[in-house]
Amino acid sequence: MSKKFKVSICSGTTCYVLGGAQMMILEDCLPADIKDEVEVVGSSCLQKCHEPNAKPPFVLINDYLMESASMTKVIDYIREHR
Amino acid sequence: MEFTPKTSDCAIEVDYCQRYCEKKRIGGDVFLSKKIKEQSRVLAVLSDGLGSGVKAGVLATLTSVMGLNYMGSFRDPAKAAKSIMETLPVCSKRNISYSTFSMVDIDFDNEVRIVEYDNPPVLITRNGSVMDTQKQEADVLRADKEPVQINVSGFDAKIGDRIIMFSDGVSQSGIGSKELPFGWGIERVGKFILDKIASKPEISAHDLSRAIVEKSWLNNSHKALDDITCGVIYFRNPRRLLIMTGPPYDRQKDKMLASLVEEFPGKKIICGGTTANIISRETGRKVHVRLDKLTADLPPESIMDGADLVTEGILTIGRAAKYLEDKTELDFFTDDPGAKIVKLMLDSDVINFVVGTRINEFHQDPNMPVDLEIRRNVIKKISKQLEEQYYKETTIQYI
Repeated sequence: MSKKFKVSICSGTTCYVLGGAQMMILEDCLPADIKDEVEVVGSSCLQKCHEPNAKPPFVLINDYLMESASMTKVIDYIREHR
Repeated sequence: MEFTPKTSDCAIEVDYCQRYCEKKRIGGDVFLSKKIKEQSRVLAVLSDGLGSGVKAGVLATLTSVMGLNYMGSFRDPAKAAKSIMETLPVCSKRNISYSTFSMVDIDFDNEVRIVEYDNPPVLITRNGSVMDTQKQEADVLRADKEPVQINVSGFDAKIGDRIIMFSDGVSQSGIGSKELPFGWGIERVGKFILDKIASKPEISAHDLSRAIVEKSWLNNSHKALDDITCGVIYFRNPRRLLIMTGPPYDRQKDKMLASLVEEFPGKKIICGGTTANIISRETGRKVHVRLDKLTADLPPESIMDGADLVTEGILTIGRAAKYLEDKTELDFFTDDPGAKIVKLMLDSDVINFVVGTRINEFHQDPNMPVDLEIRRNVIKKISKQLEEQYYKETTIQYI
């Protein structure tokens, strides 16, 4: 059974140094109420930092690309859209 | 003068492992090796100074440095041994020389010459057994004009041969214990080495020397009662490693990048998210990031079919460069992606770098919290280290 949200965390250099490093453990930090609906995967690079005015770190939640992502922003987004 | 590089048909791996006598900060055993690139020669000396500690350390260092330099300038190691014997001081109490040595000289044809003085015999293994090289005894005069014996031997090395040199800290380990009242002994050391090789025929000089030293240490119930040193020289088929990092400057070359990885005969490392993406796209193989295997300060590694290791780019390479520069001893437990790269590099003989030169502009933003170096400069530094410190053959190809 596939889960409702698929979260891809960019682990490329730029995202990693700009805060992505703290998000690598997202899966272990998910609150109990949304834990079962979220699948967390890594991406070697989402290729978004090449675009002008990019705001890393990036996280891809299903089709939605989140800029300047953080753990709380991701969790809030999922709670809003579930 | 030009010589064909040895690595084209046979690679020589030299490594050693050492544990100093308990509570001593300076050891009385010295192992030195040197590659004379212009002559395609490899030299190695193991010297054991009388006793342990500072005095022994000075004498062993003196002997081994002399050994290397004399061997390098004379063609005949026996001549070098003669000069050293004439110089070495003699202990007035015990009437023995202050240090012993074994010297090995390997020329461009893999012809080996060995000179030994008073050290445990150098063991040579071929096809799973210890080879007898018919040592010839020669008399030389000591500094006090007393004649002493040195052993001279030689053989033509073939792929798969190993030369193992060790100090008496190995052969006498465990002496006085219940299990080994007379010490480990040359024969048992030989059997241990053959067993190790039988269970792992491709065991590297690095691993074998460590196994021997650890076992000696174990024989003494986890103590080094004397300095324990073991050097191993291994003649092997060159192991090749490809390190691909960075996207090509010209996007038309993405296909070429993928086919380079496909066709390479050896191990492959891909460093860089974009690079991994390009190869994944061209070959249709998925990249899977190991979020279950995190290191504190490096982006996680990934898995992809057809590559032995996939990592992030510049941060990981930078870490690898630092490990090489600091000569960090990487044990089993250090396995962050940077350490893994170094381990693979040290386990190879020929390392080909393919460096993409397209620059990620974001990396050059001065607001980045860490300084990111330019990829090709780091690779240049690594390649230099590998050539000079670890005797590897490297090539760098920019695309």
